[in-house]
Amino acid sequence: MLQALVVSNAIVGLEAMFPSSERVRYRFAVTGPDFELDLAGIDLLIVPNGSDHVALYRNRAHVSAFLERGKTLFCFDGWFTGWVPGHRWVHDNGKPTRAVRYSIGTDRHGLFRGVDLDHFQYYHGISGWWACGYIEAAPGAEVLLHDTWGRPVLVLDECTTPGRMCLSASGPLGEVVGHETIPNGLMGFYQNLLAYVLATHSTPAHVPA
Amino acid sequence: MSPPEKIGLVFNGVWSQYAFATAPKYRDHYELVYVHGLTYERIRRYAALVVPFQSHQPALAERQAALYRFLADGKTIAVFGDSQADWLDARWEDRPVDNYWWVKDPTRPPVAHTDATHPVYRGLSPRHACWHVHGVYTRIPGDSRVIQTNDRGEVITWQTHACGGTLFASTLDPIVEHGIQQIRHLDHYVDSLTAWLRGVKPEGAFTVAPTAYGGAWDQ
Repeated sequence: MLQALVVSNAIVGLEAMFPSSERVRYRFAVTGPDFELDLAGIDLLIVPNGSDHVALYRNRAHVSAFLERGKTLFCFDGWFTGWVPGHRWVHDNGKPTRAVRYSIGTDRHGLFRGVDLDHFQYYHGISGWWACGYIEAAPGAEVLLHDTWGRPVLVLDECTTPGRMCLSASGPLGEVVGHETIPNGLMGFYQNLLAYVLATHSTPAHVPA
Repeated sequence: MSPPEKIGLVFNGVWSQYAFATAPKYRDHYELVYVHGLTYERIRRYAALVVPFQSHQPALAERQAALYRFLADGKTIAVFGDSQADWLDARWEDRPVDNYWWVKDPTRPPVAHTDATHPVYRGLSPRHACWHVHGVYTRIPGDSRVIQTNDRGEVITWQTHACGGTLFASTLDPIVEHGIQQIRHLDHYVDSLTAWLRGVKPEGAFTVAPTAYGGAWDQ
């Protein structure tokens, strides 16, 4: 069973996205004055959609040390501060949302197996409403999804640190996303991702030379 | 004559709130106030305060005295989205967000009635006065002015002067949605709101400054 810590800034609906299951026990760390992440005994750190990136920036050393220990980070939000090692997220409104389409880049671990990309493409029934902006990904990171203009919007990084990072350009992911209960949509991808992390979390993603 | 003070935007570290306040169009009008550092001394100089959707309601409840002291100075606080904690003398209830009304039945938007005499809504078309709502208010202070309701008569937007200044509350989410930039017609609402709160109407289009992303936070 994975021990996961979800960073919560108390926005409505956040905790409902991560009900514990046989595979994952979710706990929540609620932001506040002098917030400090305690990652002892945690396998998976989750920064969900709508998170506090001031609090994360102030805890960037804890996140880096966590990844150095070979652990896993999911960030499904737009990290406007520089706390994610090697990657930068940039907001952009220069492209029309109606023109947004996603394509699978590489998927070495079969994370999109059984997943219908249209559920990402037409999230909320509207094109361009899943991700926002784009990721300037670290060299060597696997771009799982890119947008119409070839910009990364979902990446898996197993080479920048000994840990693993799965980052979306603010595309929400979780056990439950909104009112969606579609097994081959966002939830399907998330379950595939969890299965991959469960199978690999006890081994470092990358041993620095 | 010096320009009016900025509007304080209570900040829960959320990217859309940041994107809005750092956009070239709005950065001279708004200043982020990190909610965990909010004190009366920190906010007293602002022309007004905006509490956006996706705020930290327990933290706001802990800072209720500072917020009401600001109101007692005769100033304005505009609150948007959900308000689960009881720092407001009102009751908010969640409802599913309807993003499809304009597809299903464009004649039935989530707001059925708008008091267009209110300065924020004066001159706005129905489409610009409501895009979607996050829940409703099922109880508001007795002396409140109701500004928007849905077709069941539930309150979407209201205002009271009972605390000295003006407390304006709405389950619309203009700041967060405008920051996200997926709905691209919110300049009308936000510019009207800004003019009401600060006396100056922002001009031009919403653009993003890429250099504002990926850096430090040292406030």
